[in-house]
Amino acid sequence: MGLKNFEGADEEFNLEQMEAETEEMLRMRFLSDTNAKFERTAGGFVSLDIPEGEDGKAEHYDRVRVVRSFPFTAPNTYISIRTTEEKSKEIGIIRDIAKDVSKETRKMLEEQMSLRYFTPVITKINDIKEEYGHAYWDVVTTEGPCKFVIYMNSSSVVSLTDVRLMISDLDGNRFEIPDYTQLSAGELKKLDLFL
Amino acid sequence: MNLLFDLPAAQRSAFTPADGEEIKYCSPCDIDRDGKLTHERYLVVTNRRLLVISGSQTETDLALSDITYLKCDPLVNNGLLIAKTVQNDTEQILARFTMKHVSRVAFIAKGALLLRDGIKKQVISREYDKTCPICGRALRGTRECPKCSHKPSVLWKFFKLCGAYKGWLAIIAVLMACVAVIQLVIPKIQQIFIDDYLMPGKGGWKEIGIYAGAMIGVTIITILLHVLRYWMCISMGTKMSMDLRQMLYKKVQLLSLSFIQDRRPGELMNRIVSDTAQVRRFMEEAFSGMFSCIITMVSVVIYMVMMDWKLTIMSVIFVPIALGFSISFRKNIHRRFHMQWHRFDKTNSGLQDILSGMRVVKSFGTEEQETKHFRKLTDDFAKVQERNEVFWASLFPLVSFVMGLGIYVVTYFGGVGVLEDRFTVGQLQQFITYTWMLYGPLGWMTFLPRMITQLMTSLERIYDVMDEEPLIRDHEEAQDIDLKGEVEFKDVTFGYRSYEPVLEKINLKVKPGEMIGLVGASGTGKSTMINLIMRLYEVDDGQLLIDGKDINDLKIEKYHSQIGVVLQENFLFAGTIYNNLRFAKPDATEEEIIMAAKMANAHDFIVKTPDGYNTYVGEHGYSLSGGERQRLAIARAILNKPKLLILDEATSALDTESEYLIQKALERLTAGCTTFAIAHRLSTLKDADRLVVIDGHHIAEVGTHNELMEKKGIYYGLVTAQLQMQALKGEDAEAVPAGA
Repeated sequence: MGLKNFEGADEEFNLEQMEAETEEMLRMRFLSDTNAKFERTAGGFVSLDIPEGEDGKAEHYDRVRVVRSFPFTAPNTYISIRTTEEKSKEIGIIRDIAKDVSKETRKMLEEQMSLRYFTPVITKINDIKEEYGHAYWDVVTTEGPCKFVIYMNSSSVVSLTDVRLMISDLDGNRFEIPDYTQLSAGELKKLDLFL
Repeated sequence: MNLLFDLPAAQRSAFTPADGEEIKYCSPCDIDRDGKLTHERYLVVTNRRLLVISGSQTETDLALSDITYLKCDPLVNNGLLIAKTVQNDTEQILARFTMKHVSRVAFIAKGALLLRDGIKKQVISREYDKTCPICGRALRGTRECPKCSHKPSVLWKFFKLCGAYKGWLAIIAVLMACVAVIQLVIPKIQQIFIDDYLMPGKGGWKEIGIYAGAMIGVTIITILLHVLRYWMCISMGTKMSMDLRQMLYKKVQLLSLSFIQDRRPGELMNRIVSDTAQVRRFMEEAFSGMFSCIITMVSVVIYMVMMDWKLTIMSVIFVPIALGFSISFRKNIHRRFHMQWHRFDKTNSGLQDILSGMRVVKSFGTEEQETKHFRKLTDDFAKVQERNEVFWASLFPLVSFVMGLGIYVVTYFGGVGVLEDRFTVGQLQQFITYTWMLYGPLGWMTFLPRMITQLMTSLERIYDVMDEEPLIRDHEEAQDIDLKGEVEFKDVTFGYRSYEPVLEKINLKVKPGEMIGLVGASGTGKSTMINLIMRLYEVDDGQLLIDGKDINDLKIEKYHSQIGVVLQENFLFAGTIYNNLRFAKPDATEEEIIMAAKMANAHDFIVKTPDGYNTYVGEHGYSLSGGERQRLAIARAILNKPKLLILDEATSALDTESEYLIQKALERLTAGCTTFAIAHRLSTLKDADRLVVIDGHHIAEVGTHNELMEKKGIYYGLVTAQLQMQALKGEDAEAVPAGA
């Protein structure tokens, strides 16, 4: 709790404010085309207007964060729209961007999400070389060719489902193989150490 | 971490520096505007501009003076550089990059803002890159890539280190030569025996006896030599690793706290313990074997060629095949066992997970589910293990067969040679023995590259610490002084990171014997001031004077022996209470110790324990409560009668009553002793001669409790807030029993 709440002796310890914060924490507001308007900004982000917000007041946000609640399992539903400051607050949730917003808005939001989440999909494995506790990968991804290094431990390659793999490199970048059974026999052989 | 990459020629051509303009920071930004990976895009910060260059095109060209806001925004697995300018007050994306560069760009953004504000200070990053930016190799906790940096190589340093053990090395070399010679001689003796005495009608009982005796003698000598050699190698390895460990330990003690805090504690521990052990293992296992193998192999080949060069070639023809087979086979084995280890690891962590979460499992009643889950893990592990063992058992004989193929060839052609009278039986036997001797070390030698690399990795990590220059150390004219206790901050500026000052332009003069209470919200720099007084860090700017002398001109050891420190969390070493109390003053008498313990209100609880002052504390010893620990720490600090006493939340774990008692005792003690105290409970500091309120990196208020209360400033706000919180807690405390 910051200092500012305590300035001045006569001021009561602010119980009301805490009540209000609790209310806000529990609030769940769903956004859709009917109550929210998203727009592209000149800087490459998205702004948000809610004409009739809480207590009927109009709300405006210069830039909002578009965050997936279930990035692996449900990338297009329950999208949390948040403020940008460090203690990012939730403005509202979009239940399903395929249903609740227009095509245009959907495109806008998807752009923002592809900015936020950068997980190239591995389409071809050229080589995996193992050397003293690290594995050097040389792959082609949907975002271009790429070389990266991972630790040889169990947390570097994680199975999200029976066939879907998530690979994390030393720097913390992530790569995905959506279905490893689709890889060629040669590629599988290189990969089998991690399966 | 490198914040100034070399700008490639193509990108450089896009950029024409003005007069006096130079590149200050440069980093690759490896994602382009369409979200594709690229090597072409760079972020460049000069002393005037910020540029983003893609290929030979300049995408962004901003004057630093136009930038109003600049921030690196870390997203999920990538990051953005965002800016606002005087011309355009909406946030705009300047560059995008993978995690490899996120931290780098964050530093550069801070650096660019400093440059904009006319501050010349170059931002540096003490973080390490995870992979070498030049060759892409994984760095194992070293600042520079050992392959790409042009420092004298680690191997060279290692040789120099070995120079200290010249005598040992010479003896070991002689021993190894002896072993090699004897190994060559044994087949010769056999040959003579077979050819000259083992033919019908040639030798008798006597000769067989002599031969057997000779063989026993030679074997005993060989065993003795081997034992001697191993013994020498092990002692040398042990001595070397001990020396390295001591050097490392000494160095770590010398290095400043910031070096140690930049690293995880386990990491330094590993370097001191495991990496030096790795050196020892190499000396014991590889070093001794390596030279005897080479000596044996070379001499065997020479001997064989002298006997029959054609047969030698035939026996050697299979060496590359055997080697190739051995290497590929080992790779396969390694893969399989890695897989097994991987499963084992999974099973282990699964088990640990369930066992440590047993309360949750039981309370949710999911035992059945967890049992199934674990059964699947063990099943997987068992399957892999079974497959591997079968594989190993069936393939090993096959490999031995291939390795030994040369022998069959030699046996055939050698046998033909004997029938054609080109050899004697003894010579054939001798030749076959030599062939075996050639194959043995070969298999072993294939492990050598791995062992050498492991050694190099460990050496790199060891020398990474050894080569670090301590930031704080005595300079040559440092003096020993007896403290009077005057402390003066003169325009002191300090930050743990070069771009984030924690204290700015602090001015404060403290008279000997004065008690100063430091007050402020957490994170404002109270503890930092104390760290500076303790000289754990060096001030960035300004001066810290002790008795009118710059703190840097005092000898560290003597200075530290005259200050007493009690921290919030006090570390007690494994040992008795008695030894812990004597830590700062090893020659303290029992009476002094009891006196100090009494002053810290610790005597009574110490005597109550069964073993009194001889009670063992530490990891497996008597467990002390937080308050008891603190009281021991206070006793430890005052035992030495320090001239400067530092109390950082020293009484926070005590109840109000014992705090009051200690306060009273300390009052008597701190008369004539300069005291700096930090306390969250402001009532603790009521009696301080002066209270110093720190806010926003500066000293905001100075005065006594009463003066500051009258002033109705920050201190007043803090006190009233605390009173209200207490009142609120009081209500809660009453409410709980009523509800329960």
